[in-house]
Amino acid sequence: MMEFWRCCKKGAVIISSLLMLLVIFAACEEPDPPAFGEDLSSFPYNPQAYSIEVPQHFNPVPVPANNPMTTDGVALGRYLFYDPILSVDSTISCASCHKQAFAFSDNSALSIGVGDTEGIRNSMSLANVGFYDDGLFWDGRVGTLEEQSLHPIEDPLEMKDTWSNVEDKLRRHPDYQKRFRAAFGIENSNEITRDLVTKALAQFERTLISGTAKYDFSEFDWGQDQQFFSSAELRGRNLFFDEPSDPNAPHPGCSHCHTSVLLTTNEYSNNGLDEAPELTEFDDKGRGAVTGYLIDNGKFRVPTLRNVELTAPYMHDGRFETLEEVLDHYSSGGHYAPNLDANITAFPLTAEQKSDLLAFLKTMTDTDFVENPAFSSPF
Amino acid sequence: MKKLLLVLPLGLFLLSGCVKEEEVGGLELNFKATWDDAPLVMLNEYDYEGGLKMTFQRFNFYIADVQLASESSTEDLIDIEFVDFDNMASTSEAEAGYSFLVDNIPAGDYATFRIGLGVPADLNATADSDYSGSHPLARASHYWPGWESYIFAMINGKVDTDGDGQFDDSSVLYHTGSDACYRLVEYTFPVRIEADKVTDLDLVVDLHQLFEDGNGGYIDILENTNTHNIQDLSVANQVMDNFTQSLKIVY
Repeated sequence: MMEFWRCCKKGAVIISSLLMLLVIFAACEEPDPPAFGEDLSSFPYNPQAYSIEVPQHFNPVPVPANNPMTTDGVALGRYLFYDPILSVDSTISCASCHKQAFAFSDNSALSIGVGDTEGIRNSMSLANVGFYDDGLFWDGRVGTLEEQSLHPIEDPLEMKDTWSNVEDKLRRHPDYQKRFRAAFGIENSNEITRDLVTKALAQFERTLISGTAKYDFSEFDWGQDQQFFSSAELRGRNLFFDEPSDPNAPHPGCSHCHTSVLLTTNEYSNNGLDEAPELTEFDDKGRGAVTGYLIDNGKFRVPTLRNVELTAPYMHDGRFETLEEVLDHYSSGGHYAPNLDANITAFPLTAEQKSDLLAFLKTMTDTDFVENPAFSSPF
Repeated sequence: MKKLLLVLPLGLFLLSGCVKEEEVGGLELNFKATWDDAPLVMLNEYDYEGGLKMTFQRFNFYIADVQLASESSTEDLIDIEFVDFDNMASTSEAEAGYSFLVDNIPAGDYATFRIGLGVPADLNATADSDYSGSHPLARASHYWPGWESYIFAMINGKVDTDGDGQFDDSSVLYHTGSDACYRLVEYTFPVRIEADKVTDLDLVVDLHQLFEDGNGGYIDILENTNTHNIQDLSVANQVMDNFTQSLKIVY
């Protein structure tokens, strides 16, 4: 009998040891999000609809039904935009590459990420980005602002973090817990997800309206606020927009691509930056890498010219340091490729004409936009 | 009274069952572009008069006021739409064409099909900034502030004049616009819309024919590289006149 109980005791020890090992083993697996997040229900949630103010010659900013604008949503987005918490080592925020002083672009040829890693493209201005419904990034690879902001977090050349880590950091952050509660009405900190992060960022970005430059007041006849182009600016404006009476006379024709209130068609074009006798020869395929169409190789999004004075260097790879270089490029007719935009043909440009065009381009600088305290860092 | 209250809903129910629902069907408008009857593929080489070769980067146009009419009724099918061949990157895509499905058309026999080429005057008095999102008239690329007009049809191409295989010698930028360029075309032929079925209608435009000069020849594309001068719409009008002749219905 004693032998029997001894045997049972030994078995129980073995079984309990096995169970303990199983528990330890289970603890080593990828942990589920802690089920014991902070209860946030005692913090205020009083959503107030946020109305995006736009100049009278602008359309309303499109807002997706699944991400309505609220005051607290925009405020949260602004915090997140400026907070390096979104990067793996807390050194890089969205604002690192999208600086207000440069119309939410930067002054590097290529964007610089965590650890001074150089990216592959130039940072695009975010002015009026809420209107761009035909693709974001230089190659248009994403369709919405919400989707766009998913990408830089995990890009090894940008923020180099993981979304699960970013979510953990934000869930543990007492201030963000309250801000996410105020913006989205969540009950528990565990409900802070990448979906809400990107929604908040998109809400803030939709407020980045630039439409009060001299160009606006002069071109769109704004009542008592109307301003007038100087003689040089007006000559530049006419070079930019007008067509010569002789249809064969070479001319800039800038407005074929940079037109209307946004000063872009938001289409994709090969503007002749690189010679490519065959469409397969582009180092950076741009739009073609997204669509898979050979005819799209070497095409990039036509950027807005709003605040162009502030957004140097220029082009998708930042190859031109000055606007003078840009004008020289277009005046030359660009480099050959089978899909070089038919609108780009060589035209003569005198020193005076260049000066006039530059004067006109500088009327697109929106000082109010780059100095608007509502867009600045909240930290 | 109580009986009446019980009978009345029943009567209404039975009566509603007697009202025949209108039978409707659909019409798929399938636009195709060709060059001398071959599918038009962007950046493919095409022969032009005078030993020239051309490639095209863009061919697109607005259609408006599309109607089907019978002796007794007229059905409005499309107010304004944009037909876009810019992404026809292969023969198969060009052969497939660019389609619009119009549904809820009363079933029946129709005798007339009407289609406007361009933007009618009332809509042409608006601008791209009056529209947002995916509205056909929201395209900034197709509103020309200098003309205060939409670009009704856009043909962008390049020309090889010296036969070196590089299309870098000249551009063709035919952008038609202004109210004078709007054309309404009417076709008389029997179209039957059957209930719960979709009827296919192919509309084929041959781009080469759009370059006819009206005198039995073709436009000199080296002398007329673009149509951007609002003071001289002769080539733009010629292109739109040609358009009305070129557009064929295959049913």
